[in-house]
Amino acid sequence: MKKLPKQLISLKVNGYEYEVAVRPNRTLLEVLREDLRLTGTKEGCDDGSCGTCTVLLEGVPLRACLCLAVAVQGKEVTTIEGLAEGDQLHPIQRAFVDHGAIQCGYCSPGMILTAKALLDTTPAPTEQDIKLAISGNFCRCTGYNKIVRAIKIASQNAAGGK
Amino acid sequence: MENLLYVGKSVPRKDGPLKATGRAQYTVDLSLPGMLVGKVLRSPYPHARILSIDTSKANKLPGVKAVVTAADSLQIKHGFVETPRYPADQYPLAVDTVRHVGEDVAGVAAIDEDTAEEALSLIKVEYEPLPAVFDPEEAMKPEAPEIHPNHPKANEPYRNIGGKTETGWGDLEKAFNESYLIREDKYTCQMRAHGYLEPQATVAHFDYSGKLNVWTSSMGVFIKRAKLAKTLGLPYGQVRVLKTYVGGAFGGKIDLFHHEYISALLSMKCHLPVKIVYSREEVFKAARHGQPLIVQIKTGVAKDGAILGQEIRTINDSGAYHGSGVVVIFLAWGFAMAPYRVPNMKYEGYSIYTNNLVRAPQRGHGAPKMRFAAESQFDMIAEELGIDPIEFRLRNARKPGELLPNGDSVKNFGLIECITRVDHRTDFKNKYTAAIRERTTDSKIKRGIGIGTTAYFGGSLIYPNSSSVIVKLNDDASVSLMTGAQDIGQGCETVLCQIAAEELGVPVDEVQVYAADTETTPVDIGSWISGLTYVTGNATKKAAAQAMKKLLVVAAEELKAEVKDLATHHKEIFVNHSPDRRISYAQAIAASIAKNRGDSVIGEGHFRTMKDEPTHPSLATAKGRWTENYSSYATVAEVEVDTETGLVKILKATTAHDCGFPLNPTLVEGQIDGQVSMGQGHMLTEELRVEKGCVINPSFLEYKMPCALDMVETDYIDVITEKYQKDHHYHTKEVGEGYVSGTVAAVANAVYNATGVRLKRTPFSPNRVLDGLEQIQQKERNHDGKNA
Repeated sequence: MKKLPKQLISLKVNGYEYEVAVRPNRTLLEVLREDLRLTGTKEGCDDGSCGTCTVLLEGVPLRACLCLAVAVQGKEVTTIEGLAEGDQLHPIQRAFVDHGAIQCGYCSPGMILTAKALLDTTPAPTEQDIKLAISGNFCRCTGYNKIVRAIKIASQNAAGGK
Repeated sequence: MENLLYVGKSVPRKDGPLKATGRAQYTVDLSLPGMLVGKVLRSPYPHARILSIDTSKANKLPGVKAVVTAADSLQIKHGFVETPRYPADQYPLAVDTVRHVGEDVAGVAAIDEDTAEEALSLIKVEYEPLPAVFDPEEAMKPEAPEIHPNHPKANEPYRNIGGKTETGWGDLEKAFNESYLIREDKYTCQMRAHGYLEPQATVAHFDYSGKLNVWTSSMGVFIKRAKLAKTLGLPYGQVRVLKTYVGGAFGGKIDLFHHEYISALLSMKCHLPVKIVYSREEVFKAARHGQPLIVQIKTGVAKDGAILGQEIRTINDSGAYHGSGVVVIFLAWGFAMAPYRVPNMKYEGYSIYTNNLVRAPQRGHGAPKMRFAAESQFDMIAEELGIDPIEFRLRNARKPGELLPNGDSVKNFGLIECITRVDHRTDFKNKYTAAIRERTTDSKIKRGIGIGTTAYFGGSLIYPNSSSVIVKLNDDASVSLMTGAQDIGQGCETVLCQIAAEELGVPVDEVQVYAADTETTPVDIGSWISGLTYVTGNATKKAAAQAMKKLLVVAAEELKAEVKDLATHHKEIFVNHSPDRRISYAQAIAASIAKNRGDSVIGEGHFRTMKDEPTHPSLATAKGRWTENYSSYATVAEVEVDTETGLVKILKATTAHDCGFPLNPTLVEGQIDGQVSMGQGHMLTEELRVEKGCVINPSFLEYKMPCALDMVETDYIDVITEKYQKDHHYHTKEVGEGYVSGTVAAVANAVYNATGVRLKRTPFSPNRVLDGLEQIQQKERNHDGKNA
């Protein structure tokens, strides 16, 4: 099997600039997990259907398993590792932890980032807005009830200035 | 009830922040220096003889560090059950014969994925295809190809019998003769995937000291160690299985999985760490799935609805090897007899070898199928008798303290209260009769309501049968809790911390868990058979109580008082009525170390369910105790059926549940919500489609699990039948599995209530619903025709 030559690319992830040499057929997911060792972004399906690999590209949810690393040069990528500030959980993370929205936790990074993208554009979402936003992120543990509730609570807390 | 500080409270899960920030390490996230990529070569045939395997080219490929086939292995068989009647029947790497598509034939370890893939393509295997059989009822026929010719046979005229459970009591013939009404129906449930999001994965490292270290996405480290040690021919002391976070399991990660064995064998060959992660397609096509089941059920009742007798026959397609097939036919019996009185019974369950994939337990392990069958038939009988579904169930539900035919007591069984309360909460009877009235209206959307119930066991005797826990008080009075329990997302680590915190009077935050390492943590029953909170929970309670006792003895010495006169508050110990005579926990711990020649305060606790039972009940005869705790549930589902498209929508599921004493209400609710969602998938959309032994819908795009838009509104009613007291053994019951069944059965009955369509095969896909509606219309047309 002939391997494609590597290219040196610059990736902006969570505010840091990384220079990495990657083959052009490598996905953003592979580079995040294997080269940058940012393993908070999960792999669940290999075909874009499960949502566990969701990251934000310029604030918009993106399936990292369907995107080539070379295609996102110069754009701002946010992974779950970039959300909390030090030990201070992001309000959405806090709500997930406090309101039982996490069980096995494998969907949580993708789910939380999807929720962040939603609340950034729609600060006061309806229940249907929330369900629609996370409908591409599977969760097998929770039945979604507590996730939807946690996102709602996070939005209310933000509105209340908490 | 005494004032409880931490138990019974919705304490947020301990691992929440780690998981929310992406810092929790799952097996798929692990990386060790020098780690190789492992891959598995699989059989493309459902049944074939292996004539030869040539690995020479793969071995020579640069970057390949090890290649293994059965020739490199000890060829020791393993099985989910290994008893004289049901001996181990599966090699971890195929020897001479493959019996299902995807069976493991060879493994390679290479420096990267591309090289490993290329190496697989260089292995040459010569097969001679053999006749195969895929339908369990076909496989039972005398002319069917034999899949395990040397397997000890059950004494039966059928072929391919992997196992048989046969039991009964009373005089069934007499019961049927005396019955006012007898119904006989056949129900069939599909094969479903577990749908865990973290794929099957292992990292194995056989280091230069001769120790095999294994990290694997599992439901219990001790059972993995036992199976790996046996098949690899290593003593237990040389195999260490360690915790990682687990991205879901639902029954699908228990028993030995061959990636665990193959990565270990590869690492033993090259002394480098080897990681195998299944692709999602591999999970669908080669891992174990849930148990499909055929249930034939004949029930005789008196005119007042009292069940007089039942004859049940189940047929399980176990796939190419036992897997848990011989267990599910035993369990199906239990789920038939536990919730309701059946005074006369004949039960036979067959587990049949076919050339399909092997099965694992799956949340509920037979209960959803058995309850779907029994509860569908209950409603049909009740309707024929003119009794409403609630009354029928109340008439037959077991009462607290009833003894079961196997000698178990249902103890403080809350089923009757569950049924009554869920009936009232949902206004069941009014909605039920209204829906029947509405069936004849022109509206294309029909609404319906239905009920389903379950009783579920809470822990049984399966290796390692018991749990031990160590509780260590540190110098600063923080607590270290050592347990072999593997948290699979249900939150057992959090609950164990709550128990230790309660016994010791130390905040949950100050209890740190060290879990699931076969080397450094004590034995544990594991996160399966629904017994962890009960068995490991009681072990934790005893360990913490022992540590507390030791602490009080030291404090009594220091305070020159009697232990019986001491009380504790906020990590301080004081003499009753003399609050000035006090000592902090930390001071007492320091005193213990200083004065008692170095003794720090450590408590140990051990617990085994059914202490006087030597072993688990007989799978063949169902004789012997099964469990000490029966939970119960009654679920009401409200559905909407679009009669034009056949689409069923579950609007709401209300459950009244008796899980004993809910130690953490939020975690309990989480278990219930998750099971509603699983029951929803079971009933509406999930089905693995198999052609000639090969799964033909091997991705989440084609295997439809519920997504957020399908979310069902849930409501819960706690029926609390046990109490939690400090220093007392307690009887918290199961809450993680049984509820799938209630949902499944309730939806089946609600769809009938809405439409008059009685389906006996799951899932209720739009086509099946439309066919059912068409049949009703056909019947009406025929009826009208005759009348005209």
